[in-house]
Amino acid sequence: MKIQTNTMAGDLQNESDFVFKRPLFWATIFNLKTVLKTVSVLSLFVIWALLVHFKVYRFVLIPSPAEVLESGIEWMKSKDFWLDASLSSLRVFGGFTTACLIAIPIGLMIGWNKIFSDLTFPTLEILRPIPGIAYIPLAILFFPWEEASVAFICFVGAFFPILLNTITGVKLIDRDYFRAARCLGSSPRQIFWHIVIPGALPSISTGAALGMGIAWMASVAGEMISGRWGLGYRIWESYTLIRYPLIVDGMIVIGLLGLGSSAFIRFIAMRVIPWRKSITESLDQSITK
Amino acid sequence: MSASDLNATSLFWKQVRKNVANWTTVRRIMSVVLFLLAWTILVQFIGQFHQIPSPTAVFAALFQLDLGVIFTEIFRSFLRVMVGFLIGLLIGLPLGIAIGYSRIANYLLFPAVEMVRPIPPIAWIPLTVLFFIEIESQIVFLTFYGAFFPIVYNTMGGISEVDIRLPRAAMSFGLTKIGMLWKVILPAAMPQIFTGMKVAIGITWLMVVAAEMIASKGGLGYWVWYHHTVMEYPMVILGMGIIGLCGALCSVGIDVIGNHFMKWRNIF
Repeated sequence: MKIQTNTMAGDLQNESDFVFKRPLFWATIFNLKTVLKTVSVLSLFVIWALLVHFKVYRFVLIPSPAEVLESGIEWMKSKDFWLDASLSSLRVFGGFTTACLIAIPIGLMIGWNKIFSDLTFPTLEILRPIPGIAYIPLAILFFPWEEASVAFICFVGAFFPILLNTITGVKLIDRDYFRAARCLGSSPRQIFWHIVIPGALPSISTGAALGMGIAWMASVAGEMISGRWGLGYRIWESYTLIRYPLIVDGMIVIGLLGLGSSAFIRFIAMRVIPWRKSITESLDQSITK
Repeated sequence: MSASDLNATSLFWKQVRKNVANWTTVRRIMSVVLFLLAWTILVQFIGQFHQIPSPTAVFAALFQLDLGVIFTEIFRSFLRVMVGFLIGLLIGLPLGIAIGYSRIANYLLFPAVEMVRPIPPIAWIPLTVLFFIEIESQIVFLTFYGAFFPIVYNTMGGISEVDIRLPRAAMSFGLTKIGMLWKVILPAAMPQIFTGMKVAIGITWLMVVAAEMIASKGGLGYWVWYHHTVMEYPMVILGMGIIGLCGALCSVGIDVIGNHFMKWRNIF
């Protein structure tokens, strides 16, 4: 009996099929994709500039791209900018690392141990729907130090995404790994270090990226309401001092720092979990495939 | 009472004992009790916590609550959340579908969306206050903005992750492109779209609280902030609880709607 294989072997008989034709250099740049993408980005700025230029509705008050660029350069030259950016980053990273240090061990334990889960999870589930920003009055009351109160709000924001993703990460580990490990006689401790933690890491990194985004958002809110330095405070102050271009500059810097920190997390995740590249790749790659 | 009746009742109690009155329930109740206990002890005995109201104070505040006022505030916040969320859905869903379904739309729209996305919604507050005259429309814009990106991203992601065999099968049965969208792609992407909506409603509640705290024009966020300024901290904690409850109810509501639309999920 002849066994039929379903491979492409037949198609690859011809040697010339292996030749990879490199596209022309110009073709890689001036294809429809790049042109449309450039148009997309440029049109954002052009529409913004036009709306401001022709004073559509209330766009009189909104600063134009040129003004934003000008005041941005001025801001970058001053000392304020570096102080704001570094203080905001410090607060976010402080809150975020604390959230990681507390949420990841608790999440691993909740996912792994049923009794621990029953003892802690209901309480956390009750606390979870309260948005981090609602904690601002309590944080102001509790922490005499402003830095700590903003960092605390970042902590609350980052805590739950990291916790929930850690729990799901542990729960989604294939049961067979546990069975195999137990058959081979590993102790619970070995199972924890060699199966639970590596198995949950991809999901933890997703949670960390999410938590980082929310921590940045929380820091802006915290600084707006109770800060003396920082990017959120700078935005709010520029609003009250009628220096409107600086508001947009602040927004852009916050956006860039947020992007940078999530790229940083992705970089770490790639180093820690080299076996799961797909998780660390960003969403847009799966969309444009 | 006949024997079968007796059997049925004893079976019922057996079921109750097996599913409700077991150690798991005890532990779950213990969890909340321990939390309240820890809170009380911290407030009583540790210096730093003295300013935080104890659980009993919060419980006592529950009875001083003016129901008329609190329900007006809840209604106000709820209305803002819902209007912002629905506008976000009306704009975000078609946009997400277009970006996920059409390659040209993806190239044309996605980079622009991707450029605006990293700016957190709260950073838009000053510009929003500048741009919109009415406070209501400011708050609704902010809630809309908070809901917009999770909806767009999850719709897009859900559509691009549809198993390629489904549209192929549909194509071989002669479905048109529009029919495919309605009959194949959207139902397949539905779970992730609803996940996006759940994330979105969470962020919408966060935005409404932040906006109301700053705008001081009624709503739960303002209520909490007002009680902070007059130093009635038990009311602040109560307000936080009410905000959490409203958020949880909204997310349960989206789950219920989702289960209604995705009945096939209950089969498995």
